[in-house]
Amino acid sequence: MAVDITLLFKASVKTVKTRNKAMGVVFDLPKDEIFKKSRPNNGFSLKAKEVISNITKLKDFLLQHRKDYVNAGSLISSDLTRMTDNERDQIDQDAQIFMRTCSEAIKQLRSEAEKRVISTQIKEHRGAVLDLIEMYLKGVCKLYSEQRAIRVKRVFEQENQRLVSEMSNLVDEVRQIEGKVVEISRLQEIFAEKVLMQETEIDSIHQLVVGATENVKEGNEDIREAIQNNAGFRVWILFFLVMCSFSLLFLDWYDS
Amino acid sequence: MAASVREKQAAALKRMLNFNTSPLKNTAAEPVWKVLIYDRFGQDIISPLLAVKELRDMGITLHLLLHSDRDPIPDVPAIYFVMPTEENIDRICQDLRNQLYESYYLNFISAISRSKLEDIASAALSANAVTQVTKVFDQYLNFITLEDDMFILCNQNKELISYHAINKPDIMDTEMEAIMDTIVDSLFCFFVTLGAVPIIRCPRGNAAEMVAVKLDKKLRENLRDARNSLFTGDNMGAGQFSFQRPLFVLADRNLDLATPLHHTWTYQALIHDVLDFHLNRVSMDESVGSEASPSGARPKKKNKKSYDLTAADKFWQKHKGSPFPEVAESVQEELDTYRAQEDEVKRLKSIMGLEGEDEGPISSISMSDNTAKLTSAVSSLPELLEKKRLIDLHTNVATAVLDHIKSRKLDVYFEYEEKLMSKSTLEKSLLDIISDPDAGTPEDKMRLFLIFYITALQPPSETDLDQYKKALLETGCDLSSLNYIKQWKAFTKIAATPSNYGNSGTCMIISHAAARWSQSVVINYLVRKNRVFKVFFFQNLPVTRILDNLMEMKSNPETDDYRYFDPKMLRGSESSTPRNKNPFQEAIVFVVGGGNYIEYQNLVDYTKAKPGKRVLYGCSELFNAGQFIKQLSSLGQK
Repeated sequence: MAVDITLLFKASVKTVKTRNKAMGVVFDLPKDEIFKKSRPNNGFSLKAKEVISNITKLKDFLLQHRKDYVNAGSLISSDLTRMTDNERDQIDQDAQIFMRTCSEAIKQLRSEAEKRVISTQIKEHRGAVLDLIEMYLKGVCKLYSEQRAIRVKRVFEQENQRLVSEMSNLVDEVRQIEGKVVEISRLQEIFAEKVLMQETEIDSIHQLVVGATENVKEGNEDIREAIQNNAGFRVWILFFLVMCSFSLLFLDWYDS
Repeated sequence: MAASVREKQAAALKRMLNFNTSPLKNTAAEPVWKVLIYDRFGQDIISPLLAVKELRDMGITLHLLLHSDRDPIPDVPAIYFVMPTEENIDRICQDLRNQLYESYYLNFISAISRSKLEDIASAALSANAVTQVTKVFDQYLNFITLEDDMFILCNQNKELISYHAINKPDIMDTEMEAIMDTIVDSLFCFFVTLGAVPIIRCPRGNAAEMVAVKLDKKLRENLRDARNSLFTGDNMGAGQFSFQRPLFVLADRNLDLATPLHHTWTYQALIHDVLDFHLNRVSMDESVGSEASPSGARPKKKNKKSYDLTAADKFWQKHKGSPFPEVAESVQEELDTYRAQEDEVKRLKSIMGLEGEDEGPISSISMSDNTAKLTSAVSSLPELLEKKRLIDLHTNVATAVLDHIKSRKLDVYFEYEEKLMSKSTLEKSLLDIISDPDAGTPEDKMRLFLIFYITALQPPSETDLDQYKKALLETGCDLSSLNYIKQWKAFTKIAATPSNYGNSGTCMIISHAAARWSQSVVINYLVRKNRVFKVFFFQNLPVTRILDNLMEMKSNPETDDYRYFDPKMLRGSESSTPRNKNPFQEAIVFVVGGGNYIEYQNLVDYTKAKPGKRVLYGCSELFNAGQFIKQLSSLGQK
């Protein structure tokens, strides 16, 4: 278990100070040290810190809107907090642009760091710092891509649901049609049966009709014959009557 | 002590690297960059715990040695992690005067003295940099944790506290005091980090006793100082689940000299013995293109490769204590599973490639199944690559170890020594093995002979000894270490009868299933030798036995007159009767004079057999048999 002796150290500093004062040792503050602090190399760490703060901003932004972003289509959420898809797309785009600029900045820093002629240790240190920043950026990008994956999953789910409902509609319709077709076929069967029955009847009727036609034809013949007979008979009767009347008339003359 | 020592130390380091505040869990936090400056001590402490990648993740852009040329990096805070020695302090003052960094966070590995603090204060004043020194901390981390339950004191300057330094005949009191102070300082830091005040037991009459006395005094002083006590409630923190205090057993290396010389058969101990293994890093010459050449063809090129064996390596964690043939089998298994997974991925790839060209094969596979499989395959790719890397690593390491085993016939030595140490009947005579020209290096033979000498109940007769000496000299061994062992044996005989090796051996169970695996080179070699592996019963090494007695409060003539210290008691009592009658749940074993992985493995095996008990192993330095023999030789030459 570690022991914090910072206070002890500060106490030692005080002791040494008082001791030095007592002994009359004076430390003149090296004034140029203060200027030395504002070194040109500071530029690197400032820029690096800037990139980090940017990435942190992005992370906060993503986390802030995460809840709204993810709550796509939940029935519980009120309309006020729901985001439209446009807004989501906007966020996606912005985030991507931001991430791209950040990684550009990192690359730039890296190439700058390599160009400068400085010691190997500082170079290694800067390389490692940039690696750390990149990892951080990757972590934040992972946040973003997780969010995005959830959203994409949601979109797919919605589409899935839509497709499912469409399909189920189709299925219903098809079922209905199927029922109707079954009925039609049933009726068709009945028709066929009836038609078959009628066929036999029609056959018999046909037969009868043919017989009737024959009979009628014969009847016609007979009637014609009868008429002829009738006409012939009438002629003979007429002849007989005329003959009788002539015979009467003859007889009458003869007698006269 | 729910969190292991390693976790505690790593957490302390991480806290330090986060400007001495707790690290936030927020994963997308803004990066803050810093520079880490350490000395060699700090480097040794940090390197087993944190990899360079972890340092980078915490924002450390550069890590530099204190005494190297460092350029000014003007707007970066710097974290120092150094020992408070004179030269380090001077260098820090120089840095302050040269205005190298924007702010300074000074962390001292062990406590800094008031006068040195004033030195820094005056340097800061003269450089007008007092405001820049933001924080000063005493970290109390002056020890190196290698495993969850193993620690050593230091790696730099370890000659100063080595076995040689402690046991050399012409040692002066001042030197001894200095050594004891170093050891006690590190142990104190260890207990501060652990957050517990132990109960100390130690044998009488040797270096371990001196360490125990000093440590007890230091802990007692610190506890009395209520204002600055490091063991107050909030320091102990969470994790203080056990209401019992741990047992701290101090042992001296002189108790058991055979174990460091022993040839071993478990993976981690073998690597330490045979290859160059420091601070969890193996360095070896890798010959290009000699993956499995049993004939030992001369390699054309040699690159030096080093591998880190870390806590994240699951295979290592599982198998570091396993016997070597088991390791070879497991590597084979891992390779097979990896190949199966690789084939799966390839199959998926080919299926995906067929899409659009040929409808036939995919019509039988549904699309959704494919995407699921594909995503799982893609996400498991990094794991697969990591697995492959680890398998390659272990294959290389195991092959290197195997080469050594084969060329030096280490299995012969191991079996023989096992028999010596467990006093079973010997099949071959010692002389045969020593005069056998292709069994092992001269060092191996020396080791074997020394173990024989140490474990023999009576020393061999003069004629036998001369015979052995002649044979050893013929093979080119250096006999000075034998002189020292003779002296040691004489000394310990006076003190007590060494019946230490009545039951000693290490755990080794090798299945007969070795014959199945005819593909693997290792098993091939071993099977060709027609070895029937017997089952050795698990038996304890001397150190483990002592621990067992003390932890379980068993009565044993060996440990009964161990001294007892309890820093929390108001009066320092000289009695050796422990007040606590319950067995301890946690124990820390520390060997003064050096330790090695064989003892560590034995303790781990002992702990595994007793659920609910935790044992930590520490030593003042870690040496393998080769280094130990060198120390013995230089002692014997005096």
